[in-house]
Amino acid sequence: MSTPAIEVRGLRREFRASQGLFAPPRRVVAVDDVSFSVPAGSVLGVVGESGCGKTTLARMILGLLEPSGGEVLVDGKRLEGMDRRARARLIQPVFQDPFSSLNPRRRVRDIIAMPLVAQGNVTTSEIDRRVAESLERVGLSTEQGTRFPSQLSGGQRQRVAIARALVLRPRIVVCDEPTSALDVSVQAQILNLLAELRRDLGLTYLFISHNLAVVEHVASEVAVMYLGRIVEKRESEALFRDPRHPYTRALLDSVLTPEPGLGVPDVGLGDIMPDPANIPSGCRFHPRCPACFAPCAATTPRITSLEDGLVECHLAG
Amino acid sequence: MSALLEVDDLRVTFGGTAAVRGISLTVEKGETHCLVGESGCGKSVTSLAVMGLLAKGGKREAARLSFAGDDIRYYDEKQMSRLRGDRMAMIFQEPMTSLNPAYTVGSQMTEVLRRHRGTPRAQAVDRAVELLTRVGITAPGLRLGQFPHQLSGGLRQRVMIAMALMCDPELLIADEPTTALDVTVQAQILRLLAELQKDLGLGILLITHDLGIVARVADRVSVMYAGEVVESAPTAELFRAPRHPYTRGLLSCVPVPGKVKRDEPLGSIPGVVPRIPPGFIGCAFRDRCSFAEAACAGPLPRRNVGPAHEMLCILPEGAGA
Ligand SMILES: Nc1ncnc2c1ncn2[C@@H]1O[C@H](COP(=O)(O)OP(=O)(O)OP(=O)(O)O)[C@@H](O)[C@H]1O
Ligand SMILES: Nc1ncnc2c1ncn2[C@@H]1O[C@H](COP(=O)(O)OP(=O)(O)OP(=O)(O)O)[C@@H](O)[C@H]1O
Ligand code: SF4
Ligand code: SF4
Ligand SMILES: [Mg+2]
Ligand SMILES: [Mg+2]
Repeated sequence: MSTPAIEVRGLRREFRASQGLFAPPRRVVAVDDVSFSVPAGSVLGVVGESGCGKTTLARMILGLLEPSGGEVLVDGKRLEGMDRRARARLIQPVFQDPFSSLNPRRRVRDIIAMPLVAQGNVTTSEIDRRVAESLERVGLSTEQGTRFPSQLSGGQRQRVAIARALVLRPRIVVCDEPTSALDVSVQAQILNLLAELRRDLGLTYLFISHNLAVVEHVASEVAVMYLGRIVEKRESEALFRDPRHPYTRALLDSVLTPEPGLGVPDVGLGDIMPDPANIPSGCRFHPRCPACFAPCAATTPRITSLEDGLVECHLAG
Repeated sequence: MSALLEVDDLRVTFGGTAAVRGISLTVEKGETHCLVGESGCGKSVTSLAVMGLLAKGGKREAARLSFAGDDIRYYDEKQMSRLRGDRMAMIFQEPMTSLNPAYTVGSQMTEVLRRHRGTPRAQAVDRAVELLTRVGITAPGLRLGQFPHQLSGGLRQRVMIAMALMCDPELLIADEPTTALDVTVQAQILRLLAELQKDLGLGILLITHDLGIVARVADRVSVMYAGEVVESAPTAELFRAPRHPYTRGLLSCVPVPGKVKRDEPLGSIPGVVPRIPPGFIGCAFRDRCSFAEAACAGPLPRRNVGPAHEMLCILPEGAGA
């Protein structure tokens, strides 16, 4: 077996949020005992509700956030104690919000050059060449390279973030909602580009998106997160053909296909969102689960292995 | 009866860039008008121009810009800020542009009501809690005490939506309001907006690049390209009979669940939106259009091609279909 590109074991992260002077701080378990591995050259899609811990998971894998427990191995090496420059050559992020992740006071070409400059041993002409190459790859003009982020549209800014991630030619790219600010035709270009880069350079992606059609298109495997846990992880094709977890089913049913007149579906999850500081007993999805039955409120479901993945639900056991 | 929002021949330039080039559209009371189009085509600039919030260097001109019958073109900043957040609310594409990192969610939400209505604090807090609950936030009391950076992207977006609804606006301009959200919350928020629309006659100008959302919630769709509306039609008509080559291209590159194959390139429109200098004439899509001919470089006709369906293109009706 070759070394997985990413391996996480028992990963956990807590946050304490202050609730004012007199109330005790609120403890949020954003990622709760998560383990998985991503084979080199594959794409793990991560989907799940807002606040379920996807970004927290991504930030720990990038070494940008300290886990409260468990460990992360990137390319077989423990992240803890790894040199920052070595880490940057191995794994790079593309974040959700292109506005706050780009320095507004720097020109686009300088933003893209930053990871190269931080390496400290790259010549100016090499930097210029690699920046020009990155700009072109993501479909930005040289003129746009001289602008500031505020002078670009949201979609153009996201291309800058992707160019910056590619400039060091990393092995692994963690994409957190990389195309959610893009319109469909640019999204298609970027997804085609990411697929091409993966094939040409053998890249591995951790790909977070709420767009299930996009995830279906890019991912070889999909992990569905709910309140900090991975509740289903399957080969992509199997997950979309035959979802096993009731939450996964609700997600798939919520997808708005471009068919006028059908309105917006109510998938029966109710209007109350889960509270990550107050995780329900038993199966954490039980208060909203349309399939909830006798053991669900009291007993935590075990992970059931399937031929093509795993699922955490009493119905699967 | 005049429309709630009427925009006629709106133009915006930034120095040497023409970002919006003669847009006309209306939003009726109780109507959802969707604005779609490629990144950089001027959707956000259009909405910011309507709200009087253009960045420094942006110049606005219009033949008419009216809200509830009043021409707001010559409103001064004081008059505009009285409207904004009150009768006319906006949800921004970048949540952090309208959330102040230095103040808690609660103080920002209640401030809106206090400023516009002089509502006492306790009442304003009740209203904020009610709206946070309606957008699906649990423990709203706790969220009121938090700062924007302590919230996930999706929570921030929901706070923005709740904040925009504080004063029961008549017009809501929503710029990609659900892009940061997962599909179940998205469905919930779209249902909430539809409900408000039914109860209060809220008019919505909805900017989105998600054609799935457009199909499900819009009454009318305007497709923008490089600062112009190139096609506009009632929703069912547009999806049934798209006419403009750009609209047809857009519809063909939507990845449809269950119909996309892994590792097979998605359909896409080659090239990028060109930068348009002021004074540009002809079809801005011509470099990317497979039907382009000499006439496309001249002035274009805006024509009716169906019931309430118009487009900006030289193609004869029904051509290239
Ligand atoms: N710095 C922080 N301090 C306190 N709580 C935090 C912090 N960062 C994240 N959290 C909490 O951890 C949980 C998970 O947040 P995270 O950003 O990982 O969610 P997400 O799945 O990426 O959501 P989204 O889809 O909205 O981006 C949330 O409840 C969030 O409020
Ligand atoms: N402050 C500014 N200075 C100069 N040019 C600007 C400024 N703001 C926007 N532009 C330009 O105006 C055009 C329209 O931008 P806008 O933000 O409206 O696009 P958009 O349709 O909202 O795109 P997206 O879908 O990516 O959000 C773009 O070419 C952009 O570069
Ligand atoms: S364990 Fe029970 S409550 Fe949880 S997802 Fe399965 S059926 Fe639903
Ligand atoms: S005007 Fe010409 S170039 Fe423009 S969309 Fe029509 S056929 Fe194509
Ligand atoms: Mg996130
Ligand atoms: Mg925009």
